[in-house]
Amino acid sequence: MKKLIALLLAAVMLLGLAACAAKTDTAASAPAASASAAASTPAASTSAAASAAAASGDLTGTKDFKVAMICDSSISDGGWGMACYNAMVDACKKTGWSYEVTDSIDQSAYYESIVAYCSLGYNLIYAPGNQYTDAVLQAADEYPDIAFALLNGGEDTPAKAANKNVTSLLPNAQQIGWIAGSLAGLMTQSNTIAFIGGMELDTTLGKYKGYTEAAQFVGKAEGKDIKVLDPVYAGSFSATDKGIEFAKAMIDQGADVFFGDASAVDSGARQAIDEANKAAGSVKIYDIGQPSDLLGQNECVICSQVTDNSSLVALSMDAVEKGTFGGEVIYGTLQNGVLSAGKMNDLIPADVQTKYLDYIDQMTKETFMK
Amino acid sequence: MSFAANLILASVRMAVPLLFIALAELYSERAGMVNIGLEGLAAIGSLVGFLVCFITGSAWLGILAGAVAALAVNMIYAFATVTLCANQIVYGMAINIFAPALASFIYRVYFGSGSELSQITLMSGIGIPGLKDIPFLGDLLFNQTPMVYLAYLLVIVTVIYFGKTRSGLNFKSVGEHPKAAATLGIPVIRVKYIACMLCGALAGIGGAYLTTCYANTYTEGNVAGRGFIALAAVIFGRWTGGGILLACLFFGFCDALQIRLQVANFGLPYQFFQMIPYIATVVVLSLIGSKKAGPRAGGQPYRREER
Repeated sequence: MKKLIALLLAAVMLLGLAACAAKTDTAASAPAASASAAASTPAASTSAAASAAAASGDLTGTKDFKVAMICDSSISDGGWGMACYNAMVDACKKTGWSYEVTDSIDQSAYYESIVAYCSLGYNLIYAPGNQYTDAVLQAADEYPDIAFALLNGGEDTPAKAANKNVTSLLPNAQQIGWIAGSLAGLMTQSNTIAFIGGMELDTTLGKYKGYTEAAQFVGKAEGKDIKVLDPVYAGSFSATDKGIEFAKAMIDQGADVFFGDASAVDSGARQAIDEANKAAGSVKIYDIGQPSDLLGQNECVICSQVTDNSSLVALSMDAVEKGTFGGEVIYGTLQNGVLSAGKMNDLIPADVQTKYLDYIDQMTKETFMK
Repeated sequence: MSFAANLILASVRMAVPLLFIALAELYSERAGMVNIGLEGLAAIGSLVGFLVCFITGSAWLGILAGAVAALAVNMIYAFATVTLCANQIVYGMAINIFAPALASFIYRVYFGSGSELSQITLMSGIGIPGLKDIPFLGDLLFNQTPMVYLAYLLVIVTVIYFGKTRSGLNFKSVGEHPKAAATLGIPVIRVKYIACMLCGALAGIGGAYLTTCYANTYTEGNVAGRGFIALAAVIFGRWTGGGILLACLFFGFCDALQIRLQVANFGLPYQFFQMIPYIATVVVLSLIGSKKAGPRAGGQPYRREER
């Protein structure tokens, strides 16, 4: 009898796991229903995951096209995950596609999550991050008829896919860094600015490099000798606590403008900056948000570097519909409107706002730092 | 403040949640219940604590709810391992898989598919007048959230309870030799259940601390291995309250050190600093040695009728 009860308890746990483990969301189904329809987890087999996802809801799009997004951070992280998810939703609204998402997945589940959607016949897999490259290439090899859009993918990644079904969506990392760095250079009073990374990805390094060169260039024009603290890495995109501690340590080093590329880690950093400002009695330490417009989310956010990933995703969807998808790099730049500076608040003096917009104009006209 | 002072303050911040979770394990193991499900218990405590704080605006209610939720989840473990005499490791691991998934599920059900960042107001710190102005020590000991004072107090209570009280000795005897304890009239089963309740509640408080006193947002995976580090802290601390406090401060110190050194930048690759907590763990483990110091009946099922 005891063994039977133990077995029953174990079965209840396993069922609970299967039902709850992954976090999926469809355009149509209610949150509870979508969460119960797990897409995949490391513990769930691909076939089981696929059948669960298949049952997850009707399609709401006006066309018979479906896109699925995978993400290692949460879509409610107030940063990268949120922006990428919103980009997909916006693109679907424009194009009439249906969508589904699985977020907060471990690295070990990247591939399983992707192939779960592939086996369900999704037309496009949207993987927002350089870290998914290996999983995407492996799945792209096995599913030649499915399109894979790799946001922040490498320039050489599409060429590695034998079936020519992978496209890199590549917002210009240097320009992203410039947009934040020029404002940091204008706003810093301590002449020390900081950058927090999640993982040491090529795109992160590119952003840091752009941030550094723009800040120092603008600082020089303002008569400032700007020190950019070396980038720090949390080793994760979800370690909010690390963000708090990094920001506190960098504030102790004198940093008064922050920019990051670390999702929920950035949210932790903003919390610490807000706390420091509160303790000081005024907002003297600033954060530049990314990749969506985060003005108003935290007191310390003075402006954001905005990446309109929805345009890039919509371009991919368009290519899938026309049958021209794959094997290319779609760049996102200031010139084609994918990158921009977000709204500014009153903490940025009017004359600084004017100077900043002038720098953005120079970047757009490709005369910046020339 | 100096680098060293800031480092120690950061160490304490990072050690407190660990301390609650490690003390949870201490109470469990002292009754012979090896519970490796701390990660899961803290995860559910973290989510429920955040959710209740988000809804009610009260961090205290959040802490309380986190404790109750983790206690409830740990009753599955207690029933399976105490009443049904199932394997403690297996059920601990099951809790580790089940509880974080349950937490994710509840979060998604409540917040839906929205992608807005939900933030709460953290528990306010309380400075003890007069004492909080002492340089360095004031900030370290007397200008913290009430939960930090509670953690300190809990260590003292634990040391006294296990070392100086009859009830504490009875509790320990259940973990050392339950059959002998039973012959002395100690209600072994009841003590084991109480241990599991304390373990669940404290681990839940440790998790809820993360979302009500530390970070003002909830992120899936925010317990970040603390449940497993707490297990190591209990072993490092030789199953004593004071030892566990030192072990948790040590782990907190290592983590804070790697963060501070990354920021200070001594011209070394950042990966070198990220290795520090792991290297320190290996070094300390080798120094501590393998002498058995834990409860002798740890992990063993207790069958009253068995000879």
